[in-house]
Amino acid sequence: MKILAHSYVCPKGTFLNGKLVYDTAGEENPLKSAYQQLGAEYPKFYKMDVLSKMAFIGTELLLPFFPKDADLENDLQLIFANSSASQNTDNLFVESYEQLKNPSPSLFVYTLPNIVTGELCIRHKWYGENCFFIEEAFNPVHFSEWAQMALNKGNNCCLCAWVEAKTNGEQECFLFLLTDSEEEAYSVELELSTLIKQYRNE
Amino acid sequence: MDKPIYISALSLVTPLGNTIEQHFDAFKNGISGIKIHEKAGFQQTAIPLAKREEITGNRYDTLLREALEKAKNAHPEISGKTAVIVSSTKGNIDLLPGDTFAETASIVHEFFPATDVLIISNACISGVIAINTAADYLFAGKYDQVLVIGIDAVSEFVSYGFQSLFALSNETCKPFDKSRNGTVLGEGCGIVLVSTQKPADFAVLYKGGSSSNDANHISGPSRTGEGLVRSIEKTFRRSGKKASDIDFISAHGTATVFNDEMESIAFGRMNLDQVPLNSMKGYFGHTLGAAGVLEIIMSIVSMEKNTLFPNLGFKETGTSVPLNIIQHMEQKALNTVLKTASGFGGGNASLILQKQS
Repeated sequence: MKILAHSYVCPKGTFLNGKLVYDTAGEENPLKSAYQQLGAEYPKFYKMDVLSKMAFIGTELLLPFFPKDADLENDLQLIFANSSASQNTDNLFVESYEQLKNPSPSLFVYTLPNIVTGELCIRHKWYGENCFFIEEAFNPVHFSEWAQMALNKGNNCCLCAWVEAKTNGEQECFLFLLTDSEEEAYSVELELSTLIKQYRNE
Repeated sequence: MDKPIYISALSLVTPLGNTIEQHFDAFKNGISGIKIHEKAGFQQTAIPLAKREEITGNRYDTLLREALEKAKNAHPEISGKTAVIVSSTKGNIDLLPGDTFAETASIVHEFFPATDVLIISNACISGVIAINTAADYLFAGKYDQVLVIGIDAVSEFVSYGFQSLFALSNETCKPFDKSRNGTVLGEGCGIVLVSTQKPADFAVLYKGGSSSNDANHISGPSRTGEGLVRSIEKTFRRSGKKASDIDFISAHGTATVFNDEMESIAFGRMNLDQVPLNSMKGYFGHTLGAAGVLEIIMSIVSMEKNTLFPNLGFKETGTSVPLNIIQHMEQKALNTVLKTASGFGGGNASLILQKQS
């Protein structure tokens, strides 16, 4: 297994393969700014939740790195995870019925973490397999296991993401594209844990 | 798919009871767990719900502990490397504004210590995906057995949300029926054992499964059934089965107008419209992340007893492609069963169970 490409979206900026592509530090609305710099024409972006917005931007940047010979429509598996599920939107939805006395259907539809993968599938016409896991923290060993299992089943590529929007304002989306190769799983795991540390400036 | 993978039912806790025998009796006698609850909806309106009346404390924790206790009694000896996969859409909603899944692993560890706990939250297809993932882990040789727990509790949060989408029925749940007008929310917890070792109790073989996305809409089902068709096709390929092998379909059937219509189109496209089919939402209501596991448990019971259970709430064909909806309890040899699920986010999933020869 090997990493074909990776991106990272957070309020301070958007990165592709380790390089800053959109500097949004200090912006009032960093995701909107990143979207505008990206220049994609996709008005649906504006009604998405934070998880979907980050994953949208990060995925657009990865598109040139998808394997050219792969049947992405059917054999790309999406493997996403985070620790807080859709907690951010959950709290906004509770506010809509407790404080505003009007349960908001447009918030409610985002109170599931896997809506993110749904949004990406709609955008890119991907009909393949999806799975969303909830874990305490980013775990490169688990991602490598899940991707290996997906590749074993005949999928030819995995788009993986740790996509988190916490109620304390912490937001990040680390996306990486995995495919089969001779490389050992542990080297991929090591690389992933190094990459996320670099992106987080740890 | 070289090594055999067995699935057996360990425990089932819903408004219909807390033993599998009680559920078999309820299904045989056409008893539904759905009742009208006064002042349960937004603005204190009456709505139908399938709620376990015995629960007084936290609904999620109580359901989880009760089902785990029963599972531990049914399967006290944990041998070999074991994982637990929990399938739930919302976890313990009462923990909001905090983390709704924060306590799940520690509750599992009260009953099954030293197991790796994974959580899958993928809307209404979570249960089927969780079992597919359990099988993937066994095929990969990472674990010897995986307990799959499907759980969701009834909550104001989800009730108000479904009301805001106009997706709830005001009377009862009538999957595939002409007069269906929405789903009914339910709650429950079911636990199955997915294992490479043949269990002492009745078990069926897992033959293959898959998921697929509609790539169409985040909250509405595809008009063409595209995602469900692609998932069933992939599951057939992986399990080496075809439409004519299927003896029974445990469908999703939420009883919303659009979902059931979508499923009928997909089953028609796959030449599965003549296969006896039910949705169990008339008994359980829609239990979201628990649904796949609950319905697979009752499908295993169907296979064990060679019994087709009626699709409670169905009277008259209400989909553009007529399906072979089971209307009366019937004895039939059930060797190969297809389970499907569809949900928010455009997700679809399916798997195939087969009786041991």
